[in-house]
Amino acid sequence: MTVHNANFTIERVLNASPARVFAAYATLEAKSQWFKAPSDIETLNRDFDFRVGGKERFHARWPSGMVTDFQATYHDILENERIILVYDMFQNGNKLSVSLQTLELRPEGDKTRLIHTEQGSYLVGGREAVVSREHGTTWHIENLMALLEGREQEAFA
Amino acid sequence: MLQYQSSPLDLAFQALSDPGRRAMVERLSFGPASVSELAAPLPMTLSAVVQHLKILEEAGLVKSEKVGRVRTCRLEIRAMTTVERWIAERKRFWEQQYDQLEAYLAASANKTEEPSE
Repeated sequence: MTVHNANFTIERVLNASPARVFAAYATLEAKSQWFKAPSDIETLNRDFDFRVGGKERFHARWPSGMVTDFQATYHDILENERIILVYDMFQNGNKLSVSLQTLELRPEGDKTRLIHTEQGSYLVGGREAVVSREHGTTWHIENLMALLEGREQEAFA
Repeated sequence: MLQYQSSPLDLAFQALSDPGRRAMVERLSFGPASVSELAAPLPMTLSAVVQHLKILEEAGLVKSEKVGRVRTCRLEIRAMTTVERWIAERKRFWEQQYDQLEAYLAASANKTEEPSE
């Protein structure tokens, strides 16, 4: 079993106040409007408990038959300012990664700068074989072409 | 053992942020091409193409080699390891969620006034 540590950051300026952005995270009703798969999936389990120590789960079967499981625990919540969670990601029952995700909401005029910092431990023992078996070597070309054509990307989770 | 840093990924995304370079990558996705073949359909000078090519090469997306007087370019589709692709996918997943968040915020702003502040 090998572990790869990787970090990435995403920044977006959203055309809404921090309160509205925070509200989009704070209830299952609001979050379900945008935190979702781009294709038809079968939801197997969906838990949502937005408070420190609370858990969120999104366990789903994709049209391809792939089963993904997002299991998160909220570690810090500061209304309209910050959300920190730790999530495990599983695919077909294998744990792929453990990630610390920090979301910061900074007001910019009447907009909000969302800063998403993710520090992940990616567990790859035997995993490479699984990936190549499931996706084949065409994965990268397909996604690159999608990127080039501006088509909807094939999402991961 | 590969020591993954986020910078190769950033370089790749940066390299693909330019429409001219995307056109070059798109052309190469059909097969290797010489620099002049790459340049032919593009509204830019040969030296501009060479500059763009350099950026694509530095990002690890394209490889070129000179045989005689002809420099041939090919897409380096194996540039990313499985784990890099996987992390790229994860990043793209969240980017996509934020596209959806933006759409949701726009739609809900039209429907209602600001919810309780």
